[in-house]
Amino acid sequence: MAAAIAASLPAPQSAPTPAQPIYEAIPASMSKAIDLESDIPLTHVQLDGIVVSKIIKHSREAHGTSAHGVLLGLDLDGTLEVSNSFPLPHHVADDDDKSVKGVARYQASMLRSLKEVQGDDSIVGFYQAMSMGSFYNQTLVETQAVQQDKLRHGGIVVVHDISRTARGNAAFRAFRLTRAFLDAFKRNNFSTDSLISHRLTFSSILEEIPIKIRTNPLLGAFLETLTTPLPSEAGDLKPSSAVESAALPPSFSVLNLGTSNTAKNLEQVVEALDAYKTEEGNLAYNLRQIAREKAKADAYVQKRKDENASRVAQGLAPLPEEDVGRLFKIPPEPSRLESMLLLGRIDAYAKTLEETASVGLVKMYAARGNSIA
Amino acid sequence: MPLTQASSALHLKNATPGFLSTPGRAPTSVTVHPVALFAILDHYLRRTDAQERVIGTLLGTRSDTGEIEVRSAFAVLHSETAEQVAVDMDYHHQMYELHHKVNSKEVIVGWYSTGSNLNTYSALIQNFYTQETAPHQAIHLALDTGVEEGKKAGVKAYISSPVGVSPKPENCVFVPLPVELKFSEQERSGLDLLSNVASGSSDVFPATDLDILERALDNVSDMLDRVLSYVRSVLAGEVKGDAAVGRYLFDTFGASTEELEKGAFNSSLQDTLMVSYLANLVRSQAEVSSRLALTRAS
Repeated sequence: MAAAIAASLPAPQSAPTPAQPIYEAIPASMSKAIDLESDIPLTHVQLDGIVVSKIIKHSREAHGTSAHGVLLGLDLDGTLEVSNSFPLPHHVADDDDKSVKGVARYQASMLRSLKEVQGDDSIVGFYQAMSMGSFYNQTLVETQAVQQDKLRHGGIVVVHDISRTARGNAAFRAFRLTRAFLDAFKRNNFSTDSLISHRLTFSSILEEIPIKIRTNPLLGAFLETLTTPLPSEAGDLKPSSAVESAALPPSFSVLNLGTSNTAKNLEQVVEALDAYKTEEGNLAYNLRQIAREKAKADAYVQKRKDENASRVAQGLAPLPEEDVGRLFKIPPEPSRLESMLLLGRIDAYAKTLEETASVGLVKMYAARGNSIA
Repeated sequence: MPLTQASSALHLKNATPGFLSTPGRAPTSVTVHPVALFAILDHYLRRTDAQERVIGTLLGTRSDTGEIEVRSAFAVLHSETAEQVAVDMDYHHQMYELHHKVNSKEVIVGWYSTGSNLNTYSALIQNFYTQETAPHQAIHLALDTGVEEGKKAGVKAYISSPVGVSPKPENCVFVPLPVELKFSEQERSGLDLLSNVASGSSDVFPATDLDILERALDNVSDMLDRVLSYVRSVLAGEVKGDAAVGRYLFDTFGASTEELEKGAFNSSLQDTLMVSYLANLVRSQAEVSSRLALTRAS
């Protein structure tokens, strides 16, 4: 028979292209003017079902909160539609330059491959796994700030909370950096003055964009078949078997009384507090150093002024004013970025703790009501 | 959890493949992750008009007991015409390399196609993938999307067995294997979320933990109402009581709640309130601290 597996597919151009309209390349000078979509501000992020499950799978398999990856899709009318994603390899800290290049190469070839099977291939943002509601760290913020110029709408980051998902609430949130933060970041200035003029606190580093979840009709129909119980064959012998014959039986794991995560959560709060205290100590030390140097410089200037005044009174030529800055090294004001991020982390941990406690309270009363009645 | 309607047919163990010596056990059962299924469905949606079906590679793990766990899948280019079938092997290898970089535990276990049509080409592709997975046997996952009329959505898995006096690649018997859907507890909530969205519920997202709890409690309360009305109608003599149902109800409601005695309850309550208080305290301190950072030391 004539059938044979060809070693490789010849370029799939066998089908005649029916009078395709010819798009002329848009000149670079015009591309900004024609790109209308980038002027419409983002109001929503829409996650496809496949992205949801891919992120959950990757976060679960990667160790800790190291899972991060790329979101693909397109923006339309103020909604950022995320239709696919792929994980990025977890790279070790050493030989940084090499791993960065490797990631870039990996990303490029993955995009090329996805394009070949009619997948979306434009990057719209990143995703990042987190635990206990805390995702503030320097790398995340810096990656976002770097990507801001490259991606339209500055790129978004979708964070996924592993610990909350384990408790039965698949948690996804989308963020992007605020203008105030970006401005401060570009000047690389996180001194007190800069913070005041930008009105920056930890809650104004990122702004949240509401997320919508979408399942395409095919996926919806398939899920529907999975959740409907199949008619069991051998009569309804056992009620339990009748329920479990669905591929996706209903689950009530959220009703579990256990609050196993609370201890770990408390530990994390304490850890974050410790880290914050250390950072504050460093800052205070730096500030004292600055104050000391400044006082020295001021004293020197004052002394020179007095000397000059007395010399003028004696009729002598005043000594030249020397450059104080060269004589005394006044250290630059320390960046408060790290301490701000740490505060954000503390707040996030505490918020999670609060939520767990409130849910625990409700469950406890529910269970007690049962025992009394 | 079975993916298709239980059939009365036995799942035959694949007899010795004859010329192929297989180390380890032959595959005995297949479990599929939702991610793999969703990826296949997504690929099916993105097919070109000319494509009848789409195929791709399955990645996963093998256990010593012959269980195959399909963890993810990626699309592979192929073309089928009346005379020939072609699979883009370069593409397949390249994609596998990329996936391998991220998750080194997942290896090629077989291939998928949409539609439940097993033909000569299926046998040829199966032959190709068997070379890829050698010395293990490749599995074939046929996913029915339920789009065609009269066919229900479902998943079937097969392994191949050569047939005929002189085995040829285009001849083989596909022996069915049992398939089950498998996911971890963490993924469960994601699936719940998706099926909620798919069934058109208008719940706000992101929901808080309390919202989810409320939904679950409402659900339980509905079920209790249903049971209650059933019990009442049995007591009133309208319906004949089912002994088995009664036994299950007895087991469920007879559950002891003694560990929630008063003392334990109160101490636990105190703990929880303390935690809640602490959390609030920490949050307000953090807020105050961040505001203080905005003042000039003067």
